[in-house]
Amino acid sequence: MTESGFRSAEDLPEGVSEHLGDLILALADNKRLLGIRYSDWLLGAPSVEAGIACSAMAQDEWGHARILYAMLRDFGHDPTALEHERGAGEYHSSELLDRDVASWEEFLALNFLWDTALSVQFEMLAESRYEPIHYKVRKLLDEERFHFDHGQGWTARLLSAEGGRQALTGAFGAAWNACLCWFGAEDDPLIGTLAAHGIVRRDAAGARARWLEQVGPLAAETGLAREADSVWASTREPVWEGYLARRRRAAEGGPDEDSLARVRGDRNRELLMD
Amino acid sequence: MSGNGQVYEVFARKKRADRFEHVGAVSAPNEQLARVYAWQTYDEAKWFEMTVAPRDAFAAVNRPQAPFTLGGPSGSAPTADSR
Repeated sequence: MTESGFRSAEDLPEGVSEHLGDLILALADNKRLLGIRYSDWLLGAPSVEAGIACSAMAQDEWGHARILYAMLRDFGHDPTALEHERGAGEYHSSELLDRDVASWEEFLALNFLWDTALSVQFEMLAESRYEPIHYKVRKLLDEERFHFDHGQGWTARLLSAEGGRQALTGAFGAAWNACLCWFGAEDDPLIGTLAAHGIVRRDAAGARARWLEQVGPLAAETGLAREADSVWASTREPVWEGYLARRRRAAEGGPDEDSLARVRGDRNRELLMD
Repeated sequence: MSGNGQVYEVFARKKRADRFEHVGAVSAPNEQLARVYAWQTYDEAKWFEMTVAPRDAFAAVNRPQAPFTLGGPSGSAPTADSR
């Protein structure tokens, strides 16, 4: 298939630009929030090394979010307003990130399941016809390789202990549906349009299959995935009730007040003088 | 969490033409995590290549004890904890 690329959002066909802007905003908001959740484990992680890893991953996520917010300038957004001036209901982040993470296994559900779900969506953008995103995605995925290894390495470690397995089963089960839905329903207007125009490489089902291929082998040990004829599938059907395609989350609402103050950098801005 | 697994020695080089230098050690429950920890802990240079090996994979040649065991057989060469 030889298709010409698009050099800017302005060149995108009618209707496509808005959907791509929404997807990039959802990716940016998820990364900003995920960075906060990672940073909360600098000191509480099971070892000093794990704490250092959380710190590095937090920095990566915040860097990625920064780059993505800046990209949205091309879509007519003001990055400063996006980063610092929105209310909770305007965030396009997952309900999984609305509040603090209570345990290491919940942390791993974010690190292994959710972070991988975000990375799969970036993989889908790696050969996008929207060209400005190419180089950025490649660098981002290079860094995300270590996030995946961290999530997978720790998940494997916990699965090898009886108590760990039980705790993981609960935490992964609670996060599973949000991950399935992230890739979109068959008639998802956002992903459907982007896939039809070659902005993302695979449709909702294709991206979900890629994610299951990555997390399936370990998720199977918690009963959430199974393999048949070398294809990984979820043992649960996605529940779409209440899912907001544009905001890529299961319900209205958004990050809690404390999280919001932190993602926007409210306190730091109080110190700014103009 | 029961223990941090085992100690892995970390080696890296900045250019293909360089020799590997011993840059430190990390404790990790498995090799996958050892790779992540090594990369993220010893990030002081833009390494061309980094590798890790379990400390107990090193055999002594001319000394009674294997290397990286400064504090005796249990080992206490620097890890991320003591940096």
